[in-house]
Amino acid sequence: MNLLPTPEQTQIIDAARSFLAGEAPVERLRPQHGQIGNRDARLWGDLAELGFLSLGLPEHQGGVGLGPCEETLLYREFGRHLISPGVLGLTLGARLAARAEDAALLEAVGAGSVRIGIANPRGPVSLGPESEGEFHLIEAREAAWAIAWSTDGAGLFRTGEFSAVSDVLCMDSHLTLERARLEVVSPVIWAPAEEDAIGDRALVLVAAYAVGLAEAARDMAVAYAKIREQFGKPIGSFQAIKHKCADMAILAEAAWCQTAFAAVALAKGRGDARFHATAAKLLATDAALKNAAQNIQVHGAYGFTADADAHLFLKRAHVMDILAGDLRAQKAALIREPAAT
Amino acid sequence: MDLDFTVEDDLFREEARDWLNENVPTEPRPQQGLAMREFDLAWQRRQYDGGWAGVSWPKEYGGRGLSLTHQLIWYEEYARAGAPNAQLLFVGCNHAAPTLMSKGSEEQKAYHLPKILRGEVAWCQGFSEPDNGSDLAGLRTRALIDGDHLVVNGSKIWTSNAHLADWQELLVRTDPLAPRHKGISWVICDMNTPGIELRPILIMTQPGHHHFNQVFYNDVRIPLANVVGEINDGWNVAMSTLGFERGTAGMSEQITYGVLLEKLIDMARERFGDAAIEHDEIGQRLAQLRADHAAVRAMIYMVVSRSYAGAPGSEASLTRAFFSQLQQRTRRIALDILGADSLEMPSEDPWIRPYLRSFSTTIAAGTSEIQRNIIGERVLGLPR
Repeated sequence: MNLLPTPEQTQIIDAARSFLAGEAPVERLRPQHGQIGNRDARLWGDLAELGFLSLGLPEHQGGVGLGPCEETLLYREFGRHLISPGVLGLTLGARLAARAEDAALLEAVGAGSVRIGIANPRGPVSLGPESEGEFHLIEAREAAWAIAWSTDGAGLFRTGEFSAVSDVLCMDSHLTLERARLEVVSPVIWAPAEEDAIGDRALVLVAAYAVGLAEAARDMAVAYAKIREQFGKPIGSFQAIKHKCADMAILAEAAWCQTAFAAVALAKGRGDARFHATAAKLLATDAALKNAAQNIQVHGAYGFTADADAHLFLKRAHVMDILAGDLRAQKAALIREPAAT
Repeated sequence: MDLDFTVEDDLFREEARDWLNENVPTEPRPQQGLAMREFDLAWQRRQYDGGWAGVSWPKEYGGRGLSLTHQLIWYEEYARAGAPNAQLLFVGCNHAAPTLMSKGSEEQKAYHLPKILRGEVAWCQGFSEPDNGSDLAGLRTRALIDGDHLVVNGSKIWTSNAHLADWQELLVRTDPLAPRHKGISWVICDMNTPGIELRPILIMTQPGHHHFNQVFYNDVRIPLANVVGEINDGWNVAMSTLGFERGTAGMSEQITYGVLLEKLIDMARERFGDAAIEHDEIGQRLAQLRADHAAVRAMIYMVVSRSYAGAPGSEASLTRAFFSQLQQRTRRIALDILGADSLEMPSEDPWIRPYLRSFSTTIAAGTSEIQRNIIGERVLGLPR
């Protein structure tokens, strides 16, 4: 038993950190504040080349042959850098393509030349070999594909098969958001959860991303509290601020430990994997939301501006909360699960 | 990242489970007084005789010399078996012993460690004073050197179980002129020494419940040989103890609480039915607690994982701060499940006294506020 990354896993983290620090600093989102749409798709080619879009696929299908643990470590870094959640469409979509042995789509993901958006339910929907309901399409405007999933399974749809598509301004204005409908459509690829627990995997990866948000917000607040002076002292010396920062550290630690535990549970196919994945999603989005809010408060009026990055973490935390079911939905799901073993 | 235990670990777990199934006391643990002392000491002796006391203590001190992973497995099985929380022995086993192991002289270790391990003695802690609680370094209980003795005058307070203890880990000021942290010594105090007087302090859980005390020292003579570590270096000695308390020492209780929460969920299902649990506010809160207790377990696993790379660091204070508040929320929800019946406090009461008692969890061993100072300063590097 050891929840720390192995030396090989640490290499993956280091490679991801070094790439993202150079190519995707959070500041990239600053000058275009107010823009609709995200330029992160320009990163997909490089991320694909580094193997980051197919970490969890078998090698004979062009993947790296690793699993949920490595993906989890990677998504934590994605969260810290506010990478477009379109990347989740690619990671999960590639699993469906691999399952259906769709060589063309696999190759396109492997080359980073395709976009796969996310179709997230706006309420109760029916997902399966025949799917219908109202959805939000996230980061799908220029995508040929969109993936939708639940704990029952996951389906890949052509975006052209959605009807009544209309643009809406996303609260997280770097992301594209559309309302769209499926009127009894069969997904091009459908994978039931018994064959590949894509829904549980999505919970863990969203949790890992949210942990990255929670940690980045904590670090930003702590760094500011060390340099901002009032009453002749750094504000971090005041307990009112110090204790907020400590609470942010506690929430981030709890969320990360549970997410790491859930990733291993999923990798090992434990019977309580869904329990742990749900708990991780719940704790991590809660930590991301709370830490993002506290980070704004620690920054004072500056935190309320578009110039500070603080608002970016708050808005992305809300997106992560809504993806795959919000806190309320996760709690309802968790209390239905049998106790963990 | 891995959750697999080795075959050897699994065998150890089986062995622990079998022994606990046959040996965990079936009679309830007395809540106070000599009966509680006898119960806790007898249970410790039984564990010692079975070879289960001090799983991770070094062999040279009578332990089994096993890893922290074995200790974790033992605690998991201990919680699963519903074994009693022998609180009276906490200070001896989890403060005094590790402090003596790291800072004590050979004579001190040889005399005290076997007695602690075999369940022959109980220890209490003499840190807080009437005017110095959170501000521990301001302590004023004086000790003057007189020949080969220290002569102690002053007072300690909130001393849990001083009336049931044989020994005390006592912090005294041996150099009043030195800077606050530099003039303190950590000494072993025999609680039967002439000049020690106790004033019982009743606690809020129920009428007449005697848990802690004010302790007065009037010309109490303690041999200089009882100083642990160097004289005037007691602050550093004490910090090694507190670091331990805030790290792995609470593991057993943390695991027990996860088992307790599942009992509460079953109780809520029985009282309200499955449908209500899944849709009511109480179900939402129980789900949050489930996630939180899962996280505590994951945090413990992370602490053990980090211990392979070095001693428990200040990150362990995150686990403790998280858990101490979680204990209160867990105890609180029991009352909401019981509803009106929560006003009743029967003599065999698993919920109400522990609820009232849980108010101590964010005060004892460093208040939540002090914990947050420590996290802010030592983990996050914020200025003092």
